[in-house]
Amino acid sequence: MKQNQKRRQLTQEEKLARGPIDLPFLLIAMLLLGFGLVMLLSASSASSYYESGNAMTYFIKQAIFAVAGVAVMFVVSKIDYQSFRGLSVIVLGAAIFFLVVVLLPIPGFSMRINGARRWLNLGITNFQPSELAKLGVILYFSARISKMKEKITEWRNLVPFAVILALIVILMYFEPHMSGTILILIAGITLLFVGGLKLKWVLLGGGGMAAILLFIITQTSYMTSRLQHWLNPWSDPQGKGYQTIQSLYAIGSGGFLGLGLGKSRQKFLYLPEEHNDFIFAVVCEELGYVGGAIVLILFALLVLRGYWLAIHARDRFGSLLIVGVTTLLAAQVFLNICVVTNFLPATGISLPFFSYGGTALFLQLFEIGIVLSVSRQIPAPRSG
Amino acid sequence: MANIRKNKRSLTADQKANRTILNRTLVLGGIFGILIFLLLLGRLFHVQILSHEKYEEMAVEQQTRSATVSASRGVIYDAKHTVLAISATVQNVIISPKDIVERDMDKDVIATGLAEILDLDRDDILEKMGNTNSQYVVVKRKVEQETEEKIRAFIKENELTFGVYLMPDTRRYYPGGSLASHVIGFVGTDNTGLNGVEKLYNKELEGENGRVITAKTAKGTEMLYQFGDYYDAVDGEDITLTIDSTIQYYLDRRLAEAIEKYRVQNGAFGIVMNPKTGAIYAMSSMPNYDLNNPSEIYNENLAEELPAKESEEYAEKLSELQLKQWRNRGVSDAYEPGSVFKILTLAMALDEDVVSDNDTFYCSGSATVQGWDQPIYCSNHKGHGTQNLAQAVQNSCNPAFINIGLRIGTDKFYDYMKAFGLLERTNVDLLGEGNSVIWSEEDFGQNIVSLAVAAFGQTLKVTPIQLITACSAAINGGYLMEPYVVAKVTGQDGAVVEEHKPVVVRQVVSEETSAKVREILESVVRDGTGKNAYVAGWRIGGKTGTSEKRDETTGNLIASFMGFAPANDPEVIVLVGLDTPSASSGYYVSGGNMAAPVVGSLIDDIMQYMDVEPQYTEEEVQTVDTSVPNLVGLSLGEAKVVLQEKGFTYRVVGDEEKITDQIPAYGSVVPNGVEVVLYLGKEKPTDQVRVPNVVGLTAEKANTVLTNRGLYMKAIGAKRTESGATVATRQSILKGAMVDRGTVVEVQFGDTSIRD
Repeated sequence: MKQNQKRRQLTQEEKLARGPIDLPFLLIAMLLLGFGLVMLLSASSASSYYESGNAMTYFIKQAIFAVAGVAVMFVVSKIDYQSFRGLSVIVLGAAIFFLVVVLLPIPGFSMRINGARRWLNLGITNFQPSELAKLGVILYFSARISKMKEKITEWRNLVPFAVILALIVILMYFEPHMSGTILILIAGITLLFVGGLKLKWVLLGGGGMAAILLFIITQTSYMTSRLQHWLNPWSDPQGKGYQTIQSLYAIGSGGFLGLGLGKSRQKFLYLPEEHNDFIFAVVCEELGYVGGAIVLILFALLVLRGYWLAIHARDRFGSLLIVGVTTLLAAQVFLNICVVTNFLPATGISLPFFSYGGTALFLQLFEIGIVLSVSRQIPAPRSG
Repeated sequence: MANIRKNKRSLTADQKANRTILNRTLVLGGIFGILIFLLLLGRLFHVQILSHEKYEEMAVEQQTRSATVSASRGVIYDAKHTVLAISATVQNVIISPKDIVERDMDKDVIATGLAEILDLDRDDILEKMGNTNSQYVVVKRKVEQETEEKIRAFIKENELTFGVYLMPDTRRYYPGGSLASHVIGFVGTDNTGLNGVEKLYNKELEGENGRVITAKTAKGTEMLYQFGDYYDAVDGEDITLTIDSTIQYYLDRRLAEAIEKYRVQNGAFGIVMNPKTGAIYAMSSMPNYDLNNPSEIYNENLAEELPAKESEEYAEKLSELQLKQWRNRGVSDAYEPGSVFKILTLAMALDEDVVSDNDTFYCSGSATVQGWDQPIYCSNHKGHGTQNLAQAVQNSCNPAFINIGLRIGTDKFYDYMKAFGLLERTNVDLLGEGNSVIWSEEDFGQNIVSLAVAAFGQTLKVTPIQLITACSAAINGGYLMEPYVVAKVTGQDGAVVEEHKPVVVRQVVSEETSAKVREILESVVRDGTGKNAYVAGWRIGGKTGTSEKRDETTGNLIASFMGFAPANDPEVIVLVGLDTPSASSGYYVSGGNMAAPVVGSLIDDIMQYMDVEPQYTEEEVQTVDTSVPNLVGLSLGEAKVVLQEKGFTYRVVGDEEKITDQIPAYGSVVPNGVEVVLYLGKEKPTDQVRVPNVVGLTAEKANTVLTNRGLYMKAIGAKRTESGATVATRQSILKGAMVDRGTVVEVQFGDTSIRD
């Protein structure tokens, strides 16, 4: 009986692992990827042309990573995600290792750009260890939390999580990389929250973080000046407020229907990072409110489908993986667009699928692969 | 058992954990799947839809470069379509110190070269190059084609593109120079009108500048794809004035002559108008200025008043003198009209029927008026004795006019002043029209002294334009017209946009009154104080005036004359005022002596120019000028017929068949009835004769003196000798000059002792 059961479970597991991936999720993700690539081509064409004489330079690089990423996504989706439990330690370990390496002055490898040490030079592309750290935290936290059940309510069991997060925060503080830190914290805390962390601790942690943020914002001169330029970018239109103003010009001049695909004017060297953090402004300028809203709705659908998959996942590990990946994606979209529309003070957060950046896109698709892998094992709804 | 319990417990723990995940994922879904996206959609709506226009405008502002396409400014024409003001393209010379530095150009070469071509100071140019942040420093504005070509060659030769360049601009040219300067006005460096019609009609003249809008990148280069707009410039409209350049030229010339002849200290004003329509043919204000260089002090005497350029007072004095020469005295400056005002008093009295031809007025040389303890003197202190109405006007007799004024009465008199438009502006389409200075109705009614002095034009002030408009009403049939200088505004397609039709403000006096006024004023020129304005054939009417400047203690006077012609149907009315002529000129200072001859000659000029048919009286026909026919080759009998037809007498020298020579020569213009000498075979004497002096002689005497020398006299002006004071004042060929026998000498006659 017991053996039967086990055999049946096993066969079911095997069967499930070979089950169909979730098509809606895949479809929305691919739509966003395609949309993102088209917009990247449009947005980057001007600066690409002025820098290299070829309007396609950025696009071709990104397209290569997109193709590679999609391939990896399908490979990952084929893997039985249970094997990620073991892998998680390695990924997290590697991430922390690289976070240390990136701080070391290794000529030709660790790079210092604009005073920040966030990038490693891989030859063909630059690589951000913090991106790997996001994946590491999601994998490791999901794996551990899924096994903890009610033990998560005991504070001493939380110590490893706190240590890992603290370590990453400290390492990234030295880069420095504020926005990346916030995203990793959001991912970690979300997983703990979904995993069953006592609400009062969640509130306590959230409150504590809010207090620290408030302190930093109001009490450090760096942040207060930043705050001021957020509230009134026109106080320094050529300096600190420039990027925000240019972004607002782009979005504002788009109006309801936009200037037409490819017809952005702000991309002509006015809007800095127009193919990067501020690509959404170009989307809005060219495609109008309608285009911007379509992008937002696609992201919302992807996120909602993600949570739907999380709820239906076969086990807690699967659920947590998807929740981690989905929430991180949603938070990134939210923060990016808040910055672009000057809803929050400027900070460097890229827009998934749209912003230029090889490793980020690659890992993004890797994470989608994980979600798809989990989706294969969702039992099909009983017919009848 | 324990195992089972454990299993059970672990199962429940699993379930519990699963339920927690489910619930909390749902919460996250609500927040991250729905709430944040609603927030973003809302925020996006705010930025993109609600603030759309604001941001779009700001964005377009920075993304576009707009270059102005200048509309060309309309042309100003005179009544005969002669160009008075026209614009042409010129170039501004610009340097870009930034590019000069960045492209490593030789500053010395540039400064030396530009200084030489543009006639500027080399160090000034070097200093301008110091502003290395700028790409636009004007070195010289509005250079013309010749200089432009030199600059282009200089740029090419030294490879200075970007460092030195030219930008088109327009410049206003005034072919007439100072002609009608106060009416036309001028423009500033930005080509907007600053004075006269240029300012008043600036909107019509300037048109609308067009723009070329091109998109630019943040670096200022052109965007990759075309994004541009072109707004056509709408050229300005042309303006045709009522001013006639020829008449204006006559007026300017006659005023200039008078200023010199009578040593006029303070300039002059003159207005020539069509009394029937109010169209102004000419308007002068002296000192004048050159429209092509309005800032320069044009009048030499005024320019001498300028202190040295380096002195502190220079700027202040310069601007004071500029304002003085730019002032259009004809419309801006009110003055006491003096006896010219008697035209209006006469019209009032005739219209009110309080005087008639048979009334007599006695003048003892002064009059007393109730309320004023001193006698009011007449210009002739000896008194004019008993006069009829026409004589009182001819004599410009103050006591008679006090009498007439009192007959009209305070209320009526004031009403007429109002009706003649003396208490309001004429609404002429010129800048800076001034107000009259006249008592309030209440003050005027206080006592009759005001009325008594107003009746002969004292202690009230009106502007020349008000006065000429009012006097036009008195002589044109009674209609007060609105004076104007702009006849029409035409678009570039030639269509008339706006046309000024004569505007009748009101009828002030009746046709009969007006006719009577004309008749009496004609007699003033024929027989009275206005006789120096007399020119045979034109039936000139008019009135003299010598105005005091009561608000100055200088005793300076304005000698003026209001004249019109022909008296039966006036085509033109002229007002001339000479401000502060000098007695040292040899003339007694009065309008009759100084202003009347100016107006007389001017009307003569204008009547001839306008091709008005002369009307000679029988007496005048006797002396009218005729040109001598060609008689050489004719037989004496044939010549006789020709000469008789033309009214010449003749004398014969020699006895051959055919006429071999004649004096005066063929084509000479001589007074009718002179003796022609016919030579029949005899040599015409070829010796030259010395011209005698005739100035100071009466017409009869002068004629005798000249004829005795074998010369002919052509008399001009008031040569009627009844008053005995009319003598020659000028001769066209000065005494002592050697001329051919039979030469015609023009002699101007006038009365130099008229007191009006």
